[in-house]
Amino acid sequence: MSLNARNALWALLITVLITGTVIYAVNYLDEQRVAQLDDLQTRLATDTLSVETQFALLESAPCADVSEGNTLSQEVSSLGDKLSVTETRLGTDDAQVLELKKQYTLLQIRDYLLTKRLSTACHIDPTVALYFYSNTAGSCADCDRAAYALSYLHETNPKLRVYAFDYNLDLGALKTLIAVEKVDPKFPAFVINGKRTYGFTTLDDFKLQFPKDFFATTTATSTAATTTKKK
Amino acid sequence: MNFNYVIYPFIFIGLYFEVFVLLVFLSAPARDRRARATSTRTPKVAMIVPAWNEAPTIKANIESLLELDYPEDKLSVVVVNDGSTDGTKEILDENFTNHPRVTVVHQVNGGKHSALNAGIDMATDAELVGCLDADSFVERNALREIISCFDNPKVAAATVAMSVFEPKKPLEIMQNVEYVLGIALRHILSSVNGIYVTPGPFSLYRRDIVLKVGGFRFGHQTEDMEMALRLQKEGYWIENAPRARVYTKVPTTVRGLIKQRTRWTSGFLRNVAFDYRGLVANPRFGVLGMVVLPLGFLAIVGGILLFVVTIVIAIQNLVHSYFIHSGIPLSYILSQKLSFDIFYVPVSVLLLLGIVTSIGMVMFIYMGKKVSNTPGRLLPGIIAYALIFRFIAPFWLIRSLKDVTLGKKRPWR
Repeated sequence: MSLNARNALWALLITVLITGTVIYAVNYLDEQRVAQLDDLQTRLATDTLSVETQFALLESAPCADVSEGNTLSQEVSSLGDKLSVTETRLGTDDAQVLELKKQYTLLQIRDYLLTKRLSTACHIDPTVALYFYSNTAGSCADCDRAAYALSYLHETNPKLRVYAFDYNLDLGALKTLIAVEKVDPKFPAFVINGKRTYGFTTLDDFKLQFPKDFFATTTATSTAATTTKKK
Repeated sequence: MNFNYVIYPFIFIGLYFEVFVLLVFLSAPARDRRARATSTRTPKVAMIVPAWNEAPTIKANIESLLELDYPEDKLSVVVVNDGSTDGTKEILDENFTNHPRVTVVHQVNGGKHSALNAGIDMATDAELVGCLDADSFVERNALREIISCFDNPKVAAATVAMSVFEPKKPLEIMQNVEYVLGIALRHILSSVNGIYVTPGPFSLYRRDIVLKVGGFRFGHQTEDMEMALRLQKEGYWIENAPRARVYTKVPTTVRGLIKQRTRWTSGFLRNVAFDYRGLVANPRFGVLGMVVLPLGFLAIVGGILLFVVTIVIAIQNLVHSYFIHSGIPLSYILSQKLSFDIFYVPVSVLLLLGIVTSIGMVMFIYMGKKVSNTPGRLLPGIIAYALIFRFIAPFWLIRSLKDVTLGKKRPWR
């Protein structure tokens, strides 16, 4: 074999090796991301259970004892952001992403229920927004805008708690929530303090869906919220 | 649409080319060429200077040839004034009419190839003929460096290391980096006879072989490329002397650059796709036929495709971003971009392969600097080259492809 042919074959082999290494490295990093999410999810599940148990044990205790819920919600929010990024990278059909998303959705629902119980027991009055989106192609042109607007509203108004749900996720608890809240498959869909609305036009119009004095009275000392952006 | 599938093949091929070139660089033939000593032989050389409206540089150009470190009785200069109208004729007549080593020929404008042929006809006693564009200047040792390339009788031509003359403006600095990259590639490809152009700024030919193959032709305004391809087709070798340096003036405006490169690129397409298509993908022509010419085509197509994809993605992102951020205060949008978490770093196959190929390119640029002993700092030029130049290049690629497709001819200047 001539030197040129040998160089050409070696070059092909090395190029394939470099490309393979890069693909492996990127997949490894993605796996690490998923593992990181899994760890975070497991920890949050334990924390949630702990708060719920604590709440159950101290039915009549001062509400300050369950204030852990605040930091918990912040972590759920962080998990949501990371899950959203992972979903973008690996795809909405990725089995690991779907599994994580189901767990995350369960966490959100539990956090939502906990928030409701806390608000009743402790006379807290958080503004809660349930946001339903769809990842089905062409079914929700405004979901990206709605998700970003909700993130903005949550971060600038910490009293607002946002829970984002993939309407089509195959999860019994989510289906029950959708049935309980009577949410139709029109996207984006919102349930803000129990009131259902559909569609997103502008941020200013969207703000009208919130209680009249909400944006005027918000303080920076309240609870955090969760948001998962739709892809 | 996922554009990655369009980009991946080109990135892979680009990476393959870099790896192949690196292996050739490390191979014995290239190492031998780097170790080649300056020749002690002094065959008779005639330097041909085709000049068309070169008044600002012609005198310095000829003087740089006369100052070459070479026996005076073995070196002559033939200047062919190709119907200049800018005072070139007067400068030549005034300074070189009775010069013992300079022959001045005035002819009706017939194009660069005809001027070169006229000069070669005049240099009857020369074994080697050199061509030097009138806007170029040679270093004193350049001729001695290049002569050693002709120790092998199969070598019909030899090229040199081209550098930009006094690069000061941003566009000149960027082209200087590109020229240094060219030095590396020409050096490496010469070791596998993969050179497809013998550039006008100082290439040397065996006079008898040039005459044997029929002299210079119009070659779609790229007579240097046409001659190199013809020599390759006839089975000759084209060598390179990386330490023989010539400085050339380059376009200083984007418009001028695009015009020059359109001529080069359309010349490549016309010569290779039509006149010398028999060389492409032909194993008989080794690396030139199987790697250099096919990848030259792919580089043009890939350059255009990558540019179009980049523009489409950029527009999509801009529109999407505007759509998403509409109504949200700018202060909030900007604050989002400032947060950093390793989790969110968008590491992708495309990004990493892009980084690997970019590192490869920078490595070749520094190889070019090393093998040719090019002075000066290259880093600012490399950064500008990476950030700006590649966004200008697609314009001449698209223009060239359009010209060739529509059969459009453009004037030289």
